Amino acid sequence: MPPAYLFLLLSGALFTMGAVGFLVRRNPLVVFMCIELMLNAVNLAFAAESRFLNSLDGVVFAFLVITVAAAEVVVGIAIIVQVYRAGRQMDVDGLDLMKE
Amino acid sequence: MVVAFAILAAWELVTAAGVVGFRRPIYNALSLVANMLGLAVLFLILNAQFLFAAQVIVYAGAVMVLFVFIIALLNPGSDLTLGRSGNEWIYGVVFGVIFAALLGGLLFNRGLTGRQGSSSPEAINAVGNVQAIGTALYTKFLFPVEVASVLLLIAAVGAVYLAMRRIR
Repeated sequence: MPPAYLFLLLSGALFTMGAVGFLVRRNPLVVFMCIELMLNAVNLAFAAESRFLNSLDGVVFAFLVITVAAAEVVVGIAIIVQVYRAGRQMDVDGLDLMKE
Repeated sequence: MVVAFAILAAWELVTAAGVVGFRRPIYNALSLVANMLGLAVLFLILNAQFLFAAQVIVYAGAVMVLFVFIIALLNPGSDLTLGRSGNEWIYGVVFGVIFAALLGGLLFNRGLTGRQGSSSPEAINAVGNVQAIGTALYTKFLFPVEVASVLLLIAAVGAVYLAMRRIR
């Protein structure tokens, strides 16, 4: 069995890549995928803590995170499709109507 | 086990780089599918079989099919990678450096100092993984499960409302 900190290190690396992608990319769909990447990294940390501390709480919380992610994707993609149907460009930099 | 972990870790990092780096959204989505399947196998290594099944069904199944459908439907352009002003790269690099430093801190603090629970892998496997998690879900974590069900209902209603509405 690999030691716990390796799992946490992998989880942190995945989270970092997701966060950097979230900041760098402009396509809203890819931004969403980077959010999923971050949530997955957190799930990995939860599962690893759960395994190495002999507790089920982490697994249960990872399950709840999966639920929240599913709900978030449903609403987010509905909004992206609406924005697309309104004829706007698929670009998070162009969607600044709320700023004005 | 260590060899499997090393291979999976490399797989996870490569596919995550694919999610961030590819220019065409369909390649990003397929990289994310590969990433999620690798993560599911990592859950198996961590003795979380239920989480493995949930990951494959919900994430790699439902969520990513939704992503691929939407990409096929909208066919977004492939030239939307770089920011116009280039500011995004600075934010990304700054955040990446800060977080890499935190990860370096983790290397010097390797111990896991939480209180040990009673659900060792042997104890879980004696009753069965799904049974153990189901018992925890519907006794100790009943309230979060109820809240999650309401959340899913609200998300479904919201998605239907957004799909019906015509915006100008």
